[in-house]
Amino acid sequence: MFVQRRTKGGIFAAVVAAAALVVSAIPAHAETGVTSSTIKLGVTLPLTGAAAPGYNKIPAAMKAYFDYVNANGGVNGRQIKLIVKDDAYSPSQTLSVTNDLILKDKVFALVGTLGTANNEATTRLVNSQGVPRLFVNTGFSGFADMKKYPTTFPLFPSYATEAKIMGKYLADNFAGHKVALIYQDDDFGMDALKGFNTAGTTFVAKIPYAALSQADPSVIGKWVTSIVASGADTVVMFGVTSATGALAGGLYKAGLIGKVQLILGSVGSDGTTLKGLLGPLAPALAGSIAASFLPSPSDATDEYITQFKAINTQYNPGAVFDNNILVGMNTAMLTVQALRAAGASPTRASLIKAIETKGSTWASAAFSPILYSAKSHVGYTGYWFGKLGLDGNAVSVDGAGKYTLYTTDSGSAPVVKAAAARPAMPAKGLPKN
Amino acid sequence: MKISSMHKKVAVLAASALAALAFASAPTAAHAAPACDGKVPVTSCIGATSDGAPYSMMVPANFNGTVYLYSHGYRYNVDIPAAIPLIGGYKITNTPQPGPNASVIGYLLGKGYAVMGSGFARQGWNADSGVATDVELINTFKTQFTKTDHVIAWGESLGGFITQGLAEKLGTQLSAAAPLCMASSTVEAELKMAGDFLWGLKTFFDPSIKAGNYSAGAAGYGEAMADLGKVFTVMGKLQAGIGKELVTGAPSWPDTTPAAVKTMLGSVPSRSALLLIGLMAGLPAQSAHFDGTTGPGSPNSSSYTGFALLGSPALAILENGTNAAALAILATLDVEQQSGGAIFDNTKTDYSAQVESEASTYSAALSGATATGGMLAYLAAAPRATATPAAVTKMRSLLQWTGKISVPEVTMVGVSDPITPAGDSTYLANQYAAQYAAQIKANLKNHLPRGSSNLISIYGLTPTHYTTFDATGSPVTSTPAANGTNHCNFSTTQYKTVADLLAYASANGKHLSGGKLLTAVRKMGGSTVDLKFQAALPKYYSQD
Repeated sequence: MFVQRRTKGGIFAAVVAAAALVVSAIPAHAETGVTSSTIKLGVTLPLTGAAAPGYNKIPAAMKAYFDYVNANGGVNGRQIKLIVKDDAYSPSQTLSVTNDLILKDKVFALVGTLGTANNEATTRLVNSQGVPRLFVNTGFSGFADMKKYPTTFPLFPSYATEAKIMGKYLADNFAGHKVALIYQDDDFGMDALKGFNTAGTTFVAKIPYAALSQADPSVIGKWVTSIVASGADTVVMFGVTSATGALAGGLYKAGLIGKVQLILGSVGSDGTTLKGLLGPLAPALAGSIAASFLPSPSDATDEYITQFKAINTQYNPGAVFDNNILVGMNTAMLTVQALRAAGASPTRASLIKAIETKGSTWASAAFSPILYSAKSHVGYTGYWFGKLGLDGNAVSVDGAGKYTLYTTDSGSAPVVKAAAARPAMPAKGLPKN
Repeated sequence: MKISSMHKKVAVLAASALAALAFASAPTAAHAAPACDGKVPVTSCIGATSDGAPYSMMVPANFNGTVYLYSHGYRYNVDIPAAIPLIGGYKITNTPQPGPNASVIGYLLGKGYAVMGSGFARQGWNADSGVATDVELINTFKTQFTKTDHVIAWGESLGGFITQGLAEKLGTQLSAAAPLCMASSTVEAELKMAGDFLWGLKTFFDPSIKAGNYSAGAAGYGEAMADLGKVFTVMGKLQAGIGKELVTGAPSWPDTTPAAVKTMLGSVPSRSALLLIGLMAGLPAQSAHFDGTTGPGSPNSSSYTGFALLGSPALAILENGTNAAALAILATLDVEQQSGGAIFDNTKTDYSAQVESEASTYSAALSGATATGGMLAYLAAAPRATATPAAVTKMRSLLQWTGKISVPEVTMVGVSDPITPAGDSTYLANQYAAQYAAQIKANLKNHLPRGSSNLISIYGLTPTHYTTFDATGSPVTSTPAANGTNHCNFSTTQYKTVADLLAYASANGKHLSGGKLLTAVRKMGGSTVDLKFQAALPKYYSQD
């Protein structure tokens, strides 16, 4: 219709072509964020604000692992420097601090950036700059779209995958129950709805809530009213940890603790965070079933847990080892393997290529394989189910240390049970790939 | 005389000369030679071009042969009745403007550069006549001051559009150019954002707003003035309503909201509806005083997070939209009268597609996907605006810029400019990128050096936090606008840096580069010159 109009694809192609051809007025250098002695990485996540509890432990865990690697020679002789930016879970703030990371701090790559909307907010910036965005801390399945997010690598199983698996678990173990669903009403929750629909799961009530509205007591009251009105005896919670905490408080007030079985998505089930949020009410969540893709932080038999715990004790003293610490360390260990595989003179392009070609073989704590390839940026694909104990930690429903893994994809593939399998923890937790 | 004291003296003189110009009765006789006062150290000349545009020229005694031609931005082409809020009492003016401000003018004069600029022959959307005026002004200046060997063009907003149009017309007759906070490549593109926003306001909050398709002549003027009053009134109601919503959590829509909206969307807060129409129009969700990141109280409090995530983006749209609304109405009236009919047409606009990425990012502030879907469904079913085909044809015959660049150019814009979005400058860069790629290919084929880029793109960035609150926890809106926000909101240092970059390029035939360029931009503060930085394109360009 308009003579000047160009398609998105046309513009993108022109920009890519220009980036390839333009002789920059900016000084040339080997690679942004890489010197002979250092590699600079950046992460954004909430260190303050309502969403901070729990997540604010992740960067210290990442740093602890990087410090450990640095103390053991670094990556190809380079020390890893992690720059942490607080985004308070606000997409506007994520964009602002990511501008700083990329344009001022000149990081080589972003690692473990947290939040679906937050990562969405920075996509244009990340794409136009060609910055690798590794192991994003969100399960939104859309981030695996390589055309839309060519430098982004999801790690967590997608929310759609998780919902499909949860649907299978419900069908196998809660047949005949009346199940209600509470979900965050955005891409996070929509992804889950997609998965439940694929699984054919039926709910007696679907209760959406806008992100952060869980801070409003009247919203929680509406949840409880809807649960009671639906006659549900089982409630699936697909929200962040603070929403799980708010739900638990609402059920307690209504006298429904023990009368309603809670099934928690992986995002909202970290035991120590819930303990912090709920205080004396925390034991009310004991018996809740939670999905997880990493081993239980309390599993003393797991080689990843024991090694990470040791590193945490030495390099992050005082921090209670939990899922957040585990996520941080696991992300950091994968990052080290990616940097090693990117070569002695790493570039952003070589980093991306390394993950695509070798990432599926790397050691990581999760039990399911990673599906990275030149044609796929999909990370993990599997979950196991545990039951929260009084200490807040989940123990496998099959018994401590026994993990039955369910795997599937974000699409129409069936959910299958599989034996948990993964590469061995590298000696002393130091990758040699 | 030392340069520094000379500079100060010239700056003072420039300021007083500018003040005098504002009241001067410029000659209106066609194309007379300028009348110069012959003063030293700065000679001031006034005159009028053949189309009646009053102009001024200021030439220092130590004129070095380079003159800066400044094109001012959009000025209303109608008087505004005093009763209209915020802008009431405005009178049409064609006072010539030879530079961004007195300090910058003094700075340039102190360095031996001359400055000039006109008030243009007509106000409103005047790109075609503006370029013609500028061409004539250059010739007049060269005739009057024969030492002239370099002409640098710069301008802001619509003046940035005119500057780009002039650069494309004159090519290497200019030595450098700077379209600052430039308007979109066509008036149609420029007015789409305004049209979408006004239509959204009308549809959700006050169906009596006409929002275009104004009658001819005085009747149309009256309709537009009435629209101004209604838009400012409904914005005031929204401001009050949002304040209530943030305290009580209960929706509070203006009393002029259609019953059908209240029936279908009554449980959705009005702040979400306002944010949605702002986002779908392409307005920035950060404004002069609302950063989308800061709330009252402790950063760990729910009030802080709630305000930052839920309230601030809508208040930013309110602030940006209020600033943009007057221009939207008055520019629409102006261009409709130039074109002979309605120019805004959204009969085929897919607002869901237009807001797709923003809906995800601002999901919380939009009250979630379900609420967003409901609002978009209402908009999809609402009556649309239809343009007059002949008027659209005529509008499209007005001057357009294509992005062709022949001499070194500098663009500068804030990333949250609500009138001329930063994406307009990105669009220029993208257009030039294609041209430059072809140029490199041709050069290499002919065994010539690749050649350096002729474009430096500077973007003003917003600070991470800048919203402040008073003792009661209410946001403060009386402080200066934050860097990167508001329309053409540049510091004198930023203007001077651009002027210096242009002077270098003019003298050397190419841009300053490397560390010196980075240092210059770093010192100007709050800006990036990163080659690959891409602002969001205006919806006119980004929709499929």
